[in-house]
Amino acid sequence: MESSEHTKVAILGAGRGGHALLDLLHHIPSIEIVGIADRDLAAPGLQRARELQIPVTNNVPDLIGNHGVSLILDVTGDPEMETYLHAHKPPAADILSGSASRLLWKLIQHESKLEAELLQSEKLAGIGSFAAGIAHDINNPLQLILGLAENLAEERDLTAAHEQARDIIEAVKRTSAICRDLTRYSRRASPHEDVQVSVNGKLDEALKIARYASSFHDIEMIKQYQPGAAVKGNPDELLHVLVNLITNAVHAMERSGGILTIETTVHDGQVDIRISDTGSGIAPDKIHEIFEPFFTTKAPGKGTGLGLYNVKTIVNKMHGTIAVDSRIDKGTTFTLTFPNAEPTGQGHPS
Amino acid sequence: MDEFKSGFFVGGEACEGRVLVVDDEPDIRKVVKMTLQKAGYEVLEAENGEKAIEVINSGENRLLLDVVICDIRMPKINGAEAVAYFRSHYPRVPLIVLTGFPDTDMATSFLRQGVVDYLVKPVEGEKLRSAVARAIEQRELARL
Repeated sequence: MESSEHTKVAILGAGRGGHALLDLLHHIPSIEIVGIADRDLAAPGLQRARELQIPVTNNVPDLIGNHGVSLILDVTGDPEMETYLHAHKPPAADILSGSASRLLWKLIQHESKLEAELLQSEKLAGIGSFAAGIAHDINNPLQLILGLAENLAEERDLTAAHEQARDIIEAVKRTSAICRDLTRYSRRASPHEDVQVSVNGKLDEALKIARYASSFHDIEMIKQYQPGAAVKGNPDELLHVLVNLITNAVHAMERSGGILTIETTVHDGQVDIRISDTGSGIAPDKIHEIFEPFFTTKAPGKGTGLGLYNVKTIVNKMHGTIAVDSRIDKGTTFTLTFPNAEPTGQGHPS
Repeated sequence: MDEFKSGFFVGGEACEGRVLVVDDEPDIRKVVKMTLQKAGYEVLEAENGEKAIEVINSGENRLLLDVVICDIRMPKINGAEAVAYFRSHYPRVPLIVLTGFPDTDMATSFLRQGVVDYLVKPVEGEKLRSAVARAIEQRELARL
């Protein structure tokens, strides 16, 4: 479609299909979703539509007849609706229903499978860059264990031997905790139902993982957490978002060190997460591209260019928004905003 | 830290040599000290490049340091810079790199800069002790 006019679309049916169509279509600039209809005003897709400020109705004739709609997407799955539409559609409108809309649904599901694959491969590519950090954190305790064991092999003093054995046990526990963190991070994000996630807890977890990706030496950390900040989503995916943003922040300060500031605030039914660095910043002409897939400023082989794309995908999925503020040589701040999972604003033990 | 009295005698025992270990991990400093003390070396510690330079410049240490063992992933002064710094300011003190992350390119570059040995953690006590002994021996030979 080469014209710059909007395609006006009406969505009928706000179940899983309608919800998926909203997510798929709402950020395509040349498509305008004129409205979404469902008999049941409590349908989940309608809630999503309200978040996206798309008009919601249960009046189908009005929706398809009065708004210059050129495409009607019928995902109600109701054969009577199909018949009705063919009889009552405006002359200028096309209808997608029945097996065509089932095909569309299959395409949407395939796309989200592809997105999950993309996410996983980007995550694994990132972990390759952790190798130096991992080697350091595992080989250091191993050196201690080796030294203690060598001593133990010749130790005649039982008390000293016991103490050395205890030190070995502690070193092993430290090392296995590192392996546990890393393997947990690298596994595929589990496709669970969304749950309540403690944001501050996840940030601390992300900091642990991010330390493998880059050195935190010469970086001052400022943490300001508002207790009880919680959001609804997939905990593995949120962790990945935070690891990505923190790693980017630290990489931006690689040359000269700097300050990493992490803040969480809860206000007006929203949770804000702010991750700031005092690094190289993003050029004003690039700042609109950073969320595009395969955009990267890193040397070839150093970055997949998918990190921020995946970050945005996940944030959208969690019904949140992401904003970036940056100045060359001053630094960059990413702000994530999500609906508060604790509407009463009360603290929730993480 | 041991108060250093004179020459090569510490607490009445002959000292094989004085070694400075530079690593940000206290565990590493502890185990290297343990391993080398067994062979009669006196071991000084520093947690980063900056501190190492302080130790080297404090009093008589500078003249009597026989070997420096250092890691390359450290705060304040990045290890690779520390190596370059040691090699240029204290060229007569042999340097052994002890690292947790083997990197052959870096190793070659270090060896070309005059680092006498490149060891990867975890290193067996025997191997570490003989690397130190070799470094001191080479230094003695160089003096002749």
